[in-house]
Amino acid sequence: MELINSIQSEWLKTRKSAAAWLCIIGGLFIPLIFLIGFLYNRQTLAMYGDEGNVWTLHFFQVWQAMVIFLLPMGLVLATSLITQMEFRNNTWKQLHATPQKYHTIFAAKFIVILGMTAQFFLYFNLGFILSGIVPSLLFDKALPDSVFPYEQFFVSNGKIFLTCLPILALQFLISLKFKNFLVPIGVGLVLLVATLIIVGNWEYAYLSPYSYGALTMMGVPEIMEKVNIYWLSIIYFAVFMTISFVLYITKSEKG
Amino acid sequence: MYCISTENLTHYFNKEEMVLNDINLKVPQGSIYGFLGPNGAGKTTTLRLILGLLKKQSGAISIFNKPFAENRIEILKKTGSLIEAPSLYAHLSAKENLAILQKVYQCKKSRIAEVLNIVGLSDTGKKSAGKFSLGMKQRLSIAMALMHEPKLLILDEPTNGLDPNGIIEMRELLKQLNKENGMTILVSSHLLAEIEKMVTHVGIINKGKIIFQGTMDDLHAAQQQRSFISFETGDTALTKQILMEKGLQVVVNGNGLTIPMIKKEAIAEINEQLVHQQIKVYQISTVKNDLESIFIDLVK
Repeated sequence: MELINSIQSEWLKTRKSAAAWLCIIGGLFIPLIFLIGFLYNRQTLAMYGDEGNVWTLHFFQVWQAMVIFLLPMGLVLATSLITQMEFRNNTWKQLHATPQKYHTIFAAKFIVILGMTAQFFLYFNLGFILSGIVPSLLFDKALPDSVFPYEQFFVSNGKIFLTCLPILALQFLISLKFKNFLVPIGVGLVLLVATLIIVGNWEYAYLSPYSYGALTMMGVPEIMEKVNIYWLSIIYFAVFMTISFVLYITKSEKG
Repeated sequence: MYCISTENLTHYFNKEEMVLNDINLKVPQGSIYGFLGPNGAGKTTTLRLILGLLKKQSGAISIFNKPFAENRIEILKKTGSLIEAPSLYAHLSAKENLAILQKVYQCKKSRIAEVLNIVGLSDTGKKSAGKFSLGMKQRLSIAMALMHEPKLLILDEPTNGLDPNGIIEMRELLKQLNKENGMTILVSSHLLAEIEKMVTHVGIINKGKIIFQGTMDDLHAAQQQRSFISFETGDTALTKQILMEKGLQVVVNGNGLTIPMIKKEAIAEINEQLVHQQIKVYQISTVKNDLESIFIDLVK
């Protein structure tokens, strides 16, 4: 019960915040671009032809534009914005003087970040579906013939969500540790750009926790056959979260 | 019975820099305790240690007669605080800031309107806290500290940023909370004049050490001890002799003499004697140290 109260309290803090807007705008941006493109060119999903299920093709088109750079960048920004909210507003001391256990505060903060990521996924998928449905209804006066691939849709979303976890955990760790907002943003951006350079060019690119989204989309065979990037995501996530927790709990100044 | 009691609280920021030295703070239950000291004396560090915001290095802290570390949650449920600058979420309104705490404390939603009314911020509407003046931020911080109707209120320089009217209102509010709700209040300040009218007890800290602790009456007694009477006469040597014959401690000060404070009847008697001995009396004056100068003397 205490955890639920803490999560509700943490969730209220994100209202009207930059992270909340980033989540909505970021989630709808790419689907909206596709929708505008379809409407402008008077195209529908039928343009994908007979090369497979048009929903699957559309799904990967939309996600590909998102997963490689924009999604990790959004995660870097949103995690830093939410976690650093306490430093920015000088509120750590207020938070730590409330009757909440330290591990509850820690868990509630991260659960809210996960919740916002899930919210982003929701907006994005809603946008993806609408960007397919609206032009088809407008121009073809009917939905595409292809059956919507529910299983693939949920499995792929789940896998992409898994690849987000190490980024969220590492950004959470850095944002908790450093007061200066530029540190988590700078580190995240540098690591992301460096990762994008090495993915596809270096056989050990999978060592970067920022690489798994890009690897999922690009499907680099020499890496994907060698390691299970989803397990690596979980391992990195567990390691970063453990380090974060230890650093947070043992911090001598709590506000 | 003490609401807050610290024993031999000592704290270092680094190996060389001792910021608190053997602090034995005793805040009686139901009191308004003024914690005074110049900037950098160690007030905020003490308060942060009491609230568990700084890791304790040595000594003991008890609140409500229970060790803090082992009973942190239970103690914080009954404690409201405001440490240094206001702690507010700038993008949220006053109500939204209070709603965050309402969730944590699980108090009634109607309490939000109540505390806003108490601090006079009922009409701020949707205005975000970031756009508040410093005084308004300070009031909202106090509303946040009062949200769960605490039994103990710890306020670090709560009048910072308030105008003279706001200071008076704050003083009245704290007195009222103490009187009507029996709330123990620990309030820090670097100005004695600001809090002397409301506190029942006072502790003075300087360079990390408590140099005075007691009731306001104790402090007034110290004030009495530090007051003196000054004489300026035509014959300083003879005057000194007369005063010493009366067993008074005399200090020669240029052309004048000073003695510790005595009753006004005794002053008249001395004057009569001096005139009788044909000594010209130019001036007899009482030099009363106000509390502020005692405070300054103590922290020198």
